[in-house]
Amino acid sequence: MSAETTGAPTSVSGFDRHRLRDIATGSVTSIAVTLVAVIVVGLSWIGPNFLSASNVTIIGSFVAVPMLIAAFASFALLAGVVDLSIGSMVGFSSCMTAALVTAGRPMWGAALATLAACLAFGAVNGIAVVIFGADTIAATLGMLVALRGVCYLLAQPSGSLAAFDADFYAFTNMTIGPLPVLFVIALVLIAIAAIIVTRTRLGRHVQAVGGDDRAATRAGISVTRVRFGALLLSALGAGVGGILYVGQLGSASNLTGTGLEFQVYAAMMIGGYSIMRGGVGNPIGAALGLLVVAGTSNILDVQAISPYFTNIIVGLLLLAAVLLDRLRGGDAYE
Amino acid sequence: MTDVASSSGAMEGGRGHFLANLPSGWGTVASVAGAWIVLIIASGLHRADFLSHQTLLAITFTMAIVGVLAVAQALIGISGGILDLSQPTALVLSASVVAWLLERGVPLPVVIVAGILVGAAWGLLNALIIVFGKLNPIIVTLGTNFIGQAVMFLVFQTAQAPINSDLVAFGRGYFLGLPNIWWPMAILVLLVGYFLPRTRYGLRAIAVGGNRLAAQARGISLKKTRFIVFSASGAVVGLAAILFASSNGPFSPTAGSTFQLPVIASVILAGVSLSGGRGSIWMILLSVAFLSTVPTSLVFFGLSSNWQAVFQGAILVVAVAIDGWRARRTLR
Repeated sequence: MSAETTGAPTSVSGFDRHRLRDIATGSVTSIAVTLVAVIVVGLSWIGPNFLSASNVTIIGSFVAVPMLIAAFASFALLAGVVDLSIGSMVGFSSCMTAALVTAGRPMWGAALATLAACLAFGAVNGIAVVIFGADTIAATLGMLVALRGVCYLLAQPSGSLAAFDADFYAFTNMTIGPLPVLFVIALVLIAIAAIIVTRTRLGRHVQAVGGDDRAATRAGISVTRVRFGALLLSALGAGVGGILYVGQLGSASNLTGTGLEFQVYAAMMIGGYSIMRGGVGNPIGAALGLLVVAGTSNILDVQAISPYFTNIIVGLLLLAAVLLDRLRGGDAYE
Repeated sequence: MTDVASSSGAMEGGRGHFLANLPSGWGTVASVAGAWIVLIIASGLHRADFLSHQTLLAITFTMAIVGVLAVAQALIGISGGILDLSQPTALVLSASVVAWLLERGVPLPVVIVAGILVGAAWGLLNALIIVFGKLNPIIVTLGTNFIGQAVMFLVFQTAQAPINSDLVAFGRGYFLGLPNIWWPMAILVLLVGYFLPRTRYGLRAIAVGGNRLAAQARGISLKKTRFIVFSASGAVVGLAAILFASSNGPFSPTAGSTFQLPVIASVILAGVSLSGGRGSIWMILLSVAFLSTVPTSLVFFGLSSNWQAVFQGAILVVAVAIDGWRARRTLR
C-alpha cells in the first residue's frame, strides 16, 4: 500500500528525476502496487486459475459498467462537486429504459429518452449546487433518495421490469478474447478521460476549479460552467451505465444500482480521488481502484468467503487511502 | 411547538458573540412552520378525517426516533463535524446489544445504560480515527459504517427485543395521548436545546464549529472538543437505539439506513449549517414534525408510499438550495 516501497530510481539523471519521484510517490503508483498485491494474493491463494480466461471475463463484466460510470464521474470529483445521486440515477435509467421497452418503444428510442431525462435530473443537481450554492453532498443525497423513489414508482407493482432485446443483450455480453466488449469500452473511456485531464486545457481548467475555485475565477475560468458541465456529465455516465445494465441483465429492478455510488466513490478514493476536495486524482487511478475492489471480492467469492469481508476490506482500504492522501499533502481535518 | 421554536430563534439571536453569526432564526422558523401548516391544511381540506388522533399518533410515532437521531446529527453539525454517516450502524449496534442483554434477563436500567454506552463508544471510536488520522468525518464515518454493517452481518442476520419485556411494553404504550417513545425525544430536544448555548462544553462545541482557529486561540482544545462531541452524539444515538428496540419488530443490520435521509433533512431544515457554528436544537422539533407529517399526508392523498422517498428527497434538495442561497447572500 505504501508508496515508499516502490523505491524511486533516483539515479536517473537530468530533468526526469522530479517527475519520476512524483510518479513513484503519486496516487496512481500506490494503487498500482495495491493491485499487484491483490493479483499476487489471488495467484498464490487460488492458483493460476485466478488469471484464467473465464475468471478474467467474470471480473471484466462485473467491473465494466462501474468503470464506465467512474470515467464520467471523475470529472465531477475533479471539479470539486461530488455527485452522490449516481446510484439511483443508474437505477432510474434502468427502470425508465425497461419501462419504455415494455411499453413497446424501440430500444434506441427508449435509450435516448432516458438519457435526456438523466441529463434533466443532472441539470437539477447543477441548478441546486452551482446556481443556488447548495451543499453538494446534501443536495445530491436528496436527489439520490428522490430518484430511488422514482425507481419504485416506475417498477411498481412487481418491483422489476423485464426488457429483453436480443441484439442489445448479445452486444453487452460480447467478448473480445477473454475481455468483455463493455470492459474494453470502459478502458477506452478511462483512457480518453485520462488524456483530457492530463493533456488538455479543458482538463487543466477542471482541475483548477476543483483545486481552488476563487483562483480559477481570477484566472478567467467559468467555475459555474465547469461544475455544471461536470454534474451533467456524471448524470450522463450514470444514465449510460443504467441502460447497459438493462442490456446485461435483460431486466431492471427498483433496486438496480443501490449503493453503487458508495462502491464507485470508495474505489475512486482508494485510487487517489477525494470527495471532499477537487483537483486531485487521475481516471487511471479510479480504474485501478475499481480493479482492486473487484479483484478482492472475486478472490473472496472463489474461496466462498462471506462477501461481507469485501466490505470490511474496502472500508479499511478507504481509510488507508484517505490517510495516505493526507500524508501526501491533502487537507488535514482538525 | 411553533412557539417553542420561535422563542429559541429569538433567544439565540440576542446572545453574545459566540452566536452572533446565527442567521435570522425567524426566517427558518417561519418558512418551515408555514410549509407545515400548508401541508396540514391541504391534507385536512382534502380529507377531513386527516385531522384525527390517529394521524397525530402516526406522526408523533415517526417523530420519536428521527428526532433523537437529529439531535445527535445536529451536535456533530454545529460543532463543525459536518455529518456522521455511521449513525445507521451505531443505531443497530446499540439496539442489538440492548436486545441481546434483555434476552439474557439483564435488568432494564442496566440495559439502558449499556445501550447508551455502546453508542458513546462508537462515537468515541469515530473520534479517535478522525482526530488522530486528521481525517474528514464524512469519509471516516462512511468507512466505519461500511465496516460496521459488514461486521454486524457476520454476527447476526436479525435481532429483536423480547416481546414480553418491559422495554417492548413501554414502546407500545401511550402517555397523555401520545406514544411513550415520543416523550423522551421531546424532553431530549428541550434539554439539549436549553443547555447547549448555556454550558461550558456546549459553548465550546459551538465555538469550534463557528471558527476553529478563533476557538483554538481562546484556549479551547479542538481534540478534546471533538472527543466530547462525538461521544455525546453517540450516546444520543444509543438513546435512539433503545427507543428503536422498544418499538420495532425484528431488525436487520441495515435497518438503520432508512433514518439517514430524514435525519439529515430535518437537521438542515432546522437551519443547522453543515459547515458548523450555527443551528438551533429546538428548531428540530418543528422540522421533524413537518417531515414526519409528509408520509401520513401522502397516504391521505391516495399516493402510494413509494412517493414518500420522492418527496423527502425533493424537500432536501430544495431545503439545501435555499440554505445555500441564504448563506451566499449573507457573505455578500
